[in-house]
Amino acid sequence: MTQLTGLLNSKKFTSLLHSKRFYFIMLGLAFIAVLPMFIGSEYVIGEVLAPMIIFAIYASSWNLLAYSGQGSLGHAAFLGIGGFASALLAIKLGVPPIVGLFVGGLFSAGIGLLIGLACVRLKAWFLAMVTFGFSVIALTLISQFDSVIGGIMGFATPLIVPRGIPFYYFTFAIAATSILVIYLVMKSKLGLAFKAIRENELEAKMTGINTGKYRLIAFVLSTFFAGIAGGLYAESIRYIQVSIFDPYYSFLPLMIAVIGGLGTIEGPLIGSVIIVSIDAYLPRIDPFLQGLMGPLFPAVSNVGPPIRMMMLGVILLLVVIFAPKGITSLINKTYAYLRRDKKEVKP
Amino acid sequence: MITPSGLAETLLWGVANGCIYILLAAGLSIIFGVMKLVNFAHGQLLMIGAYLAFTASVVLGLNAYLSILVAMGGVALIGLGVERFTFRKVLGTDKLNEIFVSLGLIYIFENAAVLLWGNKSAQIASPLHGLLSLGGISISYDRIAAMGIVIVILLSIIFLMKKTKIGLAMRATSQKSDATQLMGINIEKVYIFTFALGAALAGAAGALYGIIFPFSPALGALPTIKAFAIIILGGLGSIPGAVVGGLLYGIAENTAGYVLGGIWPDAIAFVLLIVVLVIKPTGIFGGKGD
Repeated sequence: MTQLTGLLNSKKFTSLLHSKRFYFIMLGLAFIAVLPMFIGSEYVIGEVLAPMIIFAIYASSWNLLAYSGQGSLGHAAFLGIGGFASALLAIKLGVPPIVGLFVGGLFSAGIGLLIGLACVRLKAWFLAMVTFGFSVIALTLISQFDSVIGGIMGFATPLIVPRGIPFYYFTFAIAATSILVIYLVMKSKLGLAFKAIRENELEAKMTGINTGKYRLIAFVLSTFFAGIAGGLYAESIRYIQVSIFDPYYSFLPLMIAVIGGLGTIEGPLIGSVIIVSIDAYLPRIDPFLQGLMGPLFPAVSNVGPPIRMMMLGVILLLVVIFAPKGITSLINKTYAYLRRDKKEVKP
Repeated sequence: MITPSGLAETLLWGVANGCIYILLAAGLSIIFGVMKLVNFAHGQLLMIGAYLAFTASVVLGLNAYLSILVAMGGVALIGLGVERFTFRKVLGTDKLNEIFVSLGLIYIFENAAVLLWGNKSAQIASPLHGLLSLGGISISYDRIAAMGIVIVILLSIIFLMKKTKIGLAMRATSQKSDATQLMGINIEKVYIFTFALGAALAGAAGALYGIIFPFSPALGALPTIKAFAIIILGGLGSIPGAVVGGLLYGIAENTAGYVLGGIWPDAIAFVLLIVVLVIKPTGIFGGKGD
């Protein structure tokens, strides 16, 4: 915390206030804030924009963990724990839902601490496997205690703020705060330590960084925000069920962060816009695809969903192989290219 | 009711299931040993192998056990393509990239299987029927055949590794890839051969799996984790380790199903994985990790 307040007063931060990038961000925030006024449809606000924001938090939390060199394949566990904890706290113990949301995040961070402690010595693949395994165990345990939790059939989540536009702004406020905190962490000394560990753990250790401690901090922070995202997600779909532990939700933040741009703050935001838009709007071309390719694949009644998922896989491969820093790097390159032309014109 | 003969039968069936997992784990282990690469899409290769064998037995009318060869060949070809066009591009970069590539492959394989074979469960019709009973303990002929096939395949792999030139090159690469290169060995060829070999093992495991169990396109993720648990149990990169790990795992899984029931047989893989990794990250029989 002292590191954060120190950063707020530092020269770096004041210089940020004068940078162009800062104004771009402010412009972006303003754009998101006025967006609902131009979109009349409740459906778009509730089913497209809100999930976009929630998955941006979720993917940013995953991105923070990857920033420290730790790739999780089981983040759905923390999304689910956050979702279940916040909903159950409100329903069974009568905690105000908004408090429940944050306690759910803390609960998820607590479990994250335990898993992080177990994983602190593990390298990339082992960590990926253990986290993936943990998400399946979480599913098994929640299903096992179904008589208490009722997760298999699922249940309705309590209302934090009214649905629609109020919920949109509520999510937006939480997302802006979370992503600002993640940004400050990445830019602080803490973030520098994460980066050092990611680049070379042994060398980081040699320069006196307590790698175990910092890896744990990354784990706890990441799982906290994943838990918050889980609470919000359960709230946005008005329902929570064990299916939230599905591998789909574990792979989603990875997909979003990698396609958007790994290790950058804007990557998960861009990725979330892309992936959620694909999910929401691409099904509209399903009938066309079915007419075009349906006869080739008689085994399925609708070729749309598998083709879409396959294309996601292909996009992921292309991004990893040809643009390892994601769409963000492509945007930056284009911007730099345009700027270069301008600079050349000037004497 | 848990009875001694019931328990003995459970152990025997566990060994039989373990044999299939050994094959899968051996493939993963060989690839890891030589290339220092973990292919998380390995279970999807098993699934594709099962479907190829299924198609060969239905369309060509091939004997289920001969269709194993079709599965091995087909999946080895897919492995060649996968190594050449995806993993080779990210080998030596950040380890996370390998995980991302695997994930992309998982999406592609699973959905390609849905497109080609539909989203329903299938099983390969076996020419063998019935159970062999010996003093109160019985086991299906299919599982006995599977055990025999696994032993034959493993022996040929060991022969390949110990007695042939390419095996020697693979062993050299697994010990020190740059020194191997200096000895005039084209390690790109070694890598692509290794990957295809590992994929062929996954294909064979898939065909055997498809004869014994029903399967569907979504099968993949679980076998990968089981194979991973096995090579962790047995130590990374060693085939004897995969054999011991596979047998232990098959027994543990089947016993958990018999004693605890429900969804525990699947969860046991993760419990084992986490416990072993936390206590001894290099595996029970593993030496020093990398």
